[in-house]
Amino acid sequence: MLVANGVSKSFGDVQALINVSLSIGEGEIIGLVGSNGAGKTTLLRLLAGVYRPSEGTLALGDGTDVAKGRRRLGVVPESTGLYSRLTAWENIRYHARLHGVPDDVAWTRTQHYARLLDMLPHLGRHTKGFSRGMRQKTALLRALAHHPSMLLLDEPTAGLDVTSARTVKQLVRSLGDEGKTVIYSTHQLAEAEQVCTRIIIIHNGEVRADGTPQQLLQFTETTNLEEAYVALSSDRARSVDQSEKALSGWSRRWRGLFTPRTPLSPGVSEDE
Amino acid sequence: MSEGRRRVATVAKKELVEFVRDWRTIVAILVIPVLMFPVLFILFPLLLEAEAQELDALVVRVELQADAPPLMLLDALDQTGIDLVVVDLPPLQNLTDAYLDVERLRQGQLDALLRVRANNSTWEYATLHLSTSEQSNEARARVLSAVAEWERNETTFRIEAAGLDANNTLNPVVWNGSIADADAASRGEQAGLALSLFIPLVLAVWTFSSAIQPSIDMTAGERERGTLEALLGLPCTRLELLLGKWLAVATITAAGVLLQIAGLMFAIGYLATSDIIAVPSLSISVIGLLCIAVLLFAITVVAIELALAMRSHSVKEAGSVLGPAVLLILFPALFTQVINLDNIEMFWFAIPVVNILLALRELLLNRVVLSHITVWFLSSAVYATLAALYAARQFKREDIVTTLS
Repeated sequence: MLVANGVSKSFGDVQALINVSLSIGEGEIIGLVGSNGAGKTTLLRLLAGVYRPSEGTLALGDGTDVAKGRRRLGVVPESTGLYSRLTAWENIRYHARLHGVPDDVAWTRTQHYARLLDMLPHLGRHTKGFSRGMRQKTALLRALAHHPSMLLLDEPTAGLDVTSARTVKQLVRSLGDEGKTVIYSTHQLAEAEQVCTRIIIIHNGEVRADGTPQQLLQFTETTNLEEAYVALSSDRARSVDQSEKALSGWSRRWRGLFTPRTPLSPGVSEDE
Repeated sequence: MSEGRRRVATVAKKELVEFVRDWRTIVAILVIPVLMFPVLFILFPLLLEAEAQELDALVVRVELQADAPPLMLLDALDQTGIDLVVVDLPPLQNLTDAYLDVERLRQGQLDALLRVRANNSTWEYATLHLSTSEQSNEARARVLSAVAEWERNETTFRIEAAGLDANNTLNPVVWNGSIADADAASRGEQAGLALSLFIPLVLAVWTFSSAIQPSIDMTAGERERGTLEALLGLPCTRLELLLGKWLAVATITAAGVLLQIAGLMFAIGYLATSDIIAVPSLSISVIGLLCIAVLLFAITVVAIELALAMRSHSVKEAGSVLGPAVLLILFPALFTQVINLDNIEMFWFAIPVVNILLALRELLLNRVVLSHITVWFLSSAVYATLAALYAARQFKREDIVTTLS
């Protein structure tokens, strides 16, 4: 289905992912677990073809480059990426049209999944007033409208209430039952254990473990996944200040002129 | 339709739907341009006229200080709607001395004051007024008009008293015939000259400024709202996305510019009925060339704005970059107004922005100079291509999905 071979990704002097090799089969529900800045989103963006690897290769099972195989992918970014001046259905239809799916086909599929997510009455509403849960569900419907064989979900339950999170998790499981591959990034180990058939733990840009929950426990010789995660990520998580990195040298220096030095300014750690 | 073109059309259509649903943007980019020139050329003069009529109907209070006021002056003052009080002239060294009168003017007891005294064979006069009061300024203007009338009558009287013909003595050289008939240019060509100083400036500045907001919204805005990442995961190329967005911004900008020109033409049509200005006479080929020039300019401007907005990390940053960039259009546009089009050097038609503005000026004068057209067309095509390549490069950057939000 998808093979990553020695994939690394760098942004300037920051190595976001280091030598990642994976093989993902059909129908798998894979949980990408890691702390903030671990590299989960970077890996998902590489899989979605938004980024290109700095090193290594990334291809679909038949050897197609992921960027060229996007028709088979459904992507739900962390931000959901909905247009507030469009209705939920218009958001879904826009992506479906860009996937080359006729409106009637997309509508039939959307209706099917909207019933499962209890979103049918809301499809004609503008998304501006939607709650986080409704936005997430709309983004899921949008990712499913073109009948993808693989779904990439970036923290789909982050910020959701218990009921919405439960509905999303149930849908993910049923998608796995339909034979779709789902790659699901999360901070929550318990959630990954509930939903996923395989868990990949990423820490500081490296894959630290990859296997079923039982395999992870055996590998780390621990009794629960939390302990396993702690054992695998015992070195301190790196801190990548993306907002500062995004600024050019001049902008950083200019901002520095008007930023008073505090005991916790960059360069002075809490330990000191 | 090929798949690529269909995707470009889908992106453009969605952007336009989003644009149409934001009434504030519609007002700013479409309604204001339609109303701007009619308001400026029709409503504003009507308001000025109403104000002038109001001032004409106003009775102003003027005090004439003179020991023996000349009758010709009193006659002239009598015809100007002045409420006149004549008093003796106080003992003054200079007629502009403040005396007690300045305080009276300040307190509004008087609108203006005229002092007149005889000095041998001449008359000396001065007016006192309060320049910060509109009523006082109006009173002064009427007094000066009456003084000018008195001076003319006095001059005529003295010339005739010396046994001369006043008209021949004062106007020994006179024009014969109609001034309008003496101009070889038709009224339409004259209108073209007047508009050639105006329309290029409007087109250039409005094309640039009306594209700013949609360009930012469709690039930095998408980036900040997180919608761009979802879009980049779709099976459409970044070039298709750029083309779709360019098409949408260009459509919005073209609609804004066309509506503005329609408003301008409506205002000109209205003024033409009152013989103030004629409708410019342009041939079909000139109109076609005008459209090509504007199109090339729009391609360049919109591509640059999309590229600069896409480079920005946030809507705020894009606004700070593109807002002041209007000056890059405004200064050349103003400078172009003073370039003499007769015997103009060829290189002017190769300078970015200036070339299109000069082309528009020349075409509005109904001048078709093949060498000039060749240079501005080729140079503008090169600039448009470079701008499009620059925009494409910005859209292909990987970091466009990262955001500061």
